[in-house]
Amino acid sequence: MTPLLNLSAICKSFHGVAALEGVSFDLRAGEVHALVGENGAGKSTLIKVVTGAHRPDAGTLEVSGRVVAHNDPVAARALGIAAIYQQPALFADLSVAENIALGLERGGAWRWIDWRGRRARARSLLARIGADIDPDAEVRSLAMPEQQLVEIARALGADAKILVMDEPTASLTEREVDNLFRVIRELRLHGVGIVYISHRLDELFQIADRVTVLRDGCTVATRLITEVDHAELIRLMVGREIASVFPKQTVPLGDLVLELRNVGCRASGVNGIHLTVRAGEILGLAGLAGAGRTELARCIFGLTPADQGEIRLRAQAVSIRTPGDAVALGIAYVPEDRRRHGVILEMPVAVNTTLAILPKLTHFGFFDFRRERSLAEMFVQRLGIKTASIDAAVGDLSGGNQQKVALARWLATEPAVLILDEPTQGIDVGAKAEIHRLMGELAGRGLAILMISSELLEILGMSDRIAVLRGGTIVGTLDRADATQEKVLALALGHALSTEATPGRQIQT
Amino acid sequence: MSPPASPNPDRSRGRRVLGTHDLILVVLLAIEVAVFSSYVDTFRTVENGFEVLRYSVVVGLLALVMTPVIVTGGIDLSVGSLLGLSAVVLGRTWRDLGVPIYLAAVVTVGVGLLAGGLNGLFITRLRIPPLIVTLATFSLFRGLAEGLSPGTSTFPPLPEAFTFLGQGYVFGIIPTQLLLFPFAVVGVWLLLHRTAIGRAWYAIGFSAEAARYAGIPVERRLLLAYVLAGGAAGLAGVIYVSHLGEIKANSGTGYELTAITAVVLGGTSIFGGRGGVPGTLLAVVAIVVLQRGLRMADKPAEWSGILTGLLLLAAVGANQVATKLADRRTIKG
Amino acid sequence: MLLLLLAAAAPTFYAGDKPRAILVSCAPLLVLAAGMTVVILVRHIDISIGSQFALCGVAAGLLARAGLPMPAVGVLTVLLGTAFGAVNGGLVAGLNLPSIVVTLATLFILREGLKWYGEGELIKDIPDSFQWFGLGQGVGQWLTVGVGVVVIVVFALGLRYLAAGRMVYAVGSDAEAARLAGIRPKRVVFGAFVLMGSLTGLAALLNSVCFPDVDPKAGEFLELQVIAAVVVGGVAISGGRGTLIGPAFGVLLLATLGPALVFLHVGAHWDKAFQGAIILLAVAVDGLTLGRRKNVATGLAKP
Repeated sequence: MTPLLNLSAICKSFHGVAALEGVSFDLRAGEVHALVGENGAGKSTLIKVVTGAHRPDAGTLEVSGRVVAHNDPVAARALGIAAIYQQPALFADLSVAENIALGLERGGAWRWIDWRGRRARARSLLARIGADIDPDAEVRSLAMPEQQLVEIARALGADAKILVMDEPTASLTEREVDNLFRVIRELRLHGVGIVYISHRLDELFQIADRVTVLRDGCTVATRLITEVDHAELIRLMVGREIASVFPKQTVPLGDLVLELRNVGCRASGVNGIHLTVRAGEILGLAGLAGAGRTELARCIFGLTPADQGEIRLRAQAVSIRTPGDAVALGIAYVPEDRRRHGVILEMPVAVNTTLAILPKLTHFGFFDFRRERSLAEMFVQRLGIKTASIDAAVGDLSGGNQQKVALARWLATEPAVLILDEPTQGIDVGAKAEIHRLMGELAGRGLAILMISSELLEILGMSDRIAVLRGGTIVGTLDRADATQEKVLALALGHALSTEATPGRQIQT
Repeated sequence: MSPPASPNPDRSRGRRVLGTHDLILVVLLAIEVAVFSSYVDTFRTVENGFEVLRYSVVVGLLALVMTPVIVTGGIDLSVGSLLGLSAVVLGRTWRDLGVPIYLAAVVTVGVGLLAGGLNGLFITRLRIPPLIVTLATFSLFRGLAEGLSPGTSTFPPLPEAFTFLGQGYVFGIIPTQLLLFPFAVVGVWLLLHRTAIGRAWYAIGFSAEAARYAGIPVERRLLLAYVLAGGAAGLAGVIYVSHLGEIKANSGTGYELTAITAVVLGGTSIFGGRGGVPGTLLAVVAIVVLQRGLRMADKPAEWSGILTGLLLLAAVGANQVATKLADRRTIKG
Repeated sequence: MLLLLLAAAAPTFYAGDKPRAILVSCAPLLVLAAGMTVVILVRHIDISIGSQFALCGVAAGLLARAGLPMPAVGVLTVLLGTAFGAVNGGLVAGLNLPSIVVTLATLFILREGLKWYGEGELIKDIPDSFQWFGLGQGVGQWLTVGVGVVVIVVFALGLRYLAAGRMVYAVGSDAEAARLAGIRPKRVVFGAFVLMGSLTGLAALLNSVCFPDVDPKAGEFLELQVIAAVVVGGVAISGGRGTLIGPAFGVLLLATLGPALVFLHVGAHWDKAFQGAIILLAVAVDGLTLGRRKNVATGLAKP
């Protein structure tokens, strides 16, 4: 039988960096073919080649046995390919109904719009996946999970033969995931082929027929899902055992540095937070997406200032109204969205390094360029930042090195409290281990560290204590000694412990 | 749909004073001077050189302070109107309040600073795009200027001690206001290229949000840029009046567009983050030389506007092509 | 809020034949506002329309003087505007240049080019068939107003009910998402500028037939007036948000202002000051309410 979709020897590079190096992949009608790999392995690039968003440099793409010479989003849609992207590609200013319609309607620019039809169609598609969303709502006003559901509804409406799903469940609740799986099984019966990408390996065993593992832009293996188990998948993805990734050093704890008493912020939904961090301690902040972890960090750092409670630093009540206040008090925040907030991509490494200490590098009004360069050189050495020079734009570095620059900026402030928000998200294994080593070293020098992470292994491996958030507040704190994956998840999900068999948020590697 | 600002490897924004773009402007300027000298004998004389520069001062001041504004990714359409308002404020404080003219000049600059502050507050406090705020104050300031100098009211001749500022010569040859200009240039250059404030302006221009995450007081820095622009417009108004010897509500009409043109022609990106004072300065001189040269060569004055427009298109077009080529090189390599 | 302001000005003032005069003077502005709304909705701007407007007006006058029949004059004028729009659109969409810089340049080129050609003098000796399309003042005025209203209504409906109109919103809201949805953003942007050009030609025609002679200075600072009307009408400068109803009222409001001030004995020279203050006030109110909405949105939609 001819496969529905056949990719062979696909190559694609960006700015001289190879993202795909000869990837082959096939999809049969009526199967769910999972695609797994670490961040940066090339999954997203591969599906963008399928949907025509990227044009491959080499290799062939066949749909139902016919070679597609020229692929773009329009051509792909005509071939019956639809996709759910990892980051919803929705129009924030437009209504839900219109967002769904724009992906589906065909015809010329001068056709009349049937608004009632659009609404009805949106309503029925949303009902099919059990989503209760008003078709007239502006997408801007929707929360992330709802946007994801709109994206799914839109892809379903395409009646595609080939459906690509990139992390469709990343922010969904369990009930919504169940609904989605039910729909996927229906589609499979109708002969639709589904490419399914997920970090939640448990899901694959529920829904997938076959699995293909990508690593560093190459196909490592394609197996029947029944032939592999969890451990083997991870081994294939990582290419080595993962034991050595979290080198936690034990550090003697010092004095109390940061204390939050009943802190809350109405604007961002954080409330009633009590926590303490001591010098040398790493406090892990766990919780599901949307539980309020980043919001708490933004609150401490003055981005959305607290309007309730008291923040105390070294036993002194402090007022933090702006990020500037926080920096002056010795609080540093390495944000989650590195590319948008953590660094300025267009600016050189040196400039990024000193951006938080501009006042300190000013003498009699003038900026000390020499000191900037020596500082930057020092951090490039100390953190092992791989860059052509300190004058290279940060945008030219790899993700891991960008993160190190973001870290360097905050280490340059010589902070007392360091807040790390998803410090290793989207960077490769090697850089990840280095950042973990660094965290240990910093704690050893007496920094109080707050670490937000969605990776349970990272949380469990790095933290001295773990505070779990749900609904904008801390629902429990666990000591390193008695923290387990199950306990953290139970708190995060708000379930009684023993009953929960399939955790919502699983291991990411 | 701003195109992604791709890093330009040729120009490290470190410590170099002149970049590639600036060198192109220098060449352009040289060509202009060469062409006009061959047409007009007196073109390349010292006197004419100073005269050219005298004309540069008013527009130069506006372009100078427009540079930080555009570097932050903003724009100020109101400076031309504010120049007009300043002229009228100067006249009325002097004539109607009986204030000595030099004190009136100080008051005028103060009004300029306040007006700039008004722009800045709307932009930072209410988060309204600068284009819109300054479009509104473009109307408001010009309207106030017209309202405060109803129709036919005339002003008595200005004291000679004052017009000396705009028409006189120091040492018999150097136009007076030209002595002021270098201070302004050096001041803005130092601020933009040699201080933490300037660094903050660039960071804001690339990404205001990321600058905030780095602890930079984004709103205060933006406010400063617009206050500065307002103050300079006030000063430009004073100089304009003393040069012209007359007070008119329509002073400086269209100057905002010339100033913006100079800044963009000087290589500052309209999206913010790139550019600087040397480019702006070269572009101002290039534009003024063009205007003056055409007049001396008895060519229609309109040519300068047409040529400036074409140059502007060529400049941004060349920039775009250069970035694309640079990208292609890195892909191949 | 705009309606309230209008209503406050209205009762004392909408008497006599003033309304008609105001409406006639509004007609070209309405036409321009329709085009500018489309351009701003795709997240661009065109500040060269003042120069285009003046040039098209002069062209219309010259063509009429050359003895062309009125319909031909109209078609050629609109075509000339279309050509200008195509140049702007080509540079912006084709070469990916920032629209504010491109149209700043074309503003200069066209304006100075016109001055060079005509030396700022009125185009006179135009045949009588030109003014009011040769239909006499009464009919001509109503025809002018009618065209303005028809353009606004057609564009308002088109933006809402035509696929092309929705593409404008999609591209302005998120060009990359639009590309993924199979829309070609460059074509849409190009189209917006071409439309702007055609409408500028039409507006210039409507304006020039109001007078016996054509004034080449007619379009000065027109671009800022039109942008102001569109922005006061609630169209977001960041693209993708707003309708044509607001800009239509924006035009009426700003056009009513001058006569209203005269009526209230304030003096016409305060006209611009009030205009500026009103724009500032309108966007400030908008900014305050929108700012609140934004905060709520980020609080909810934080990933």
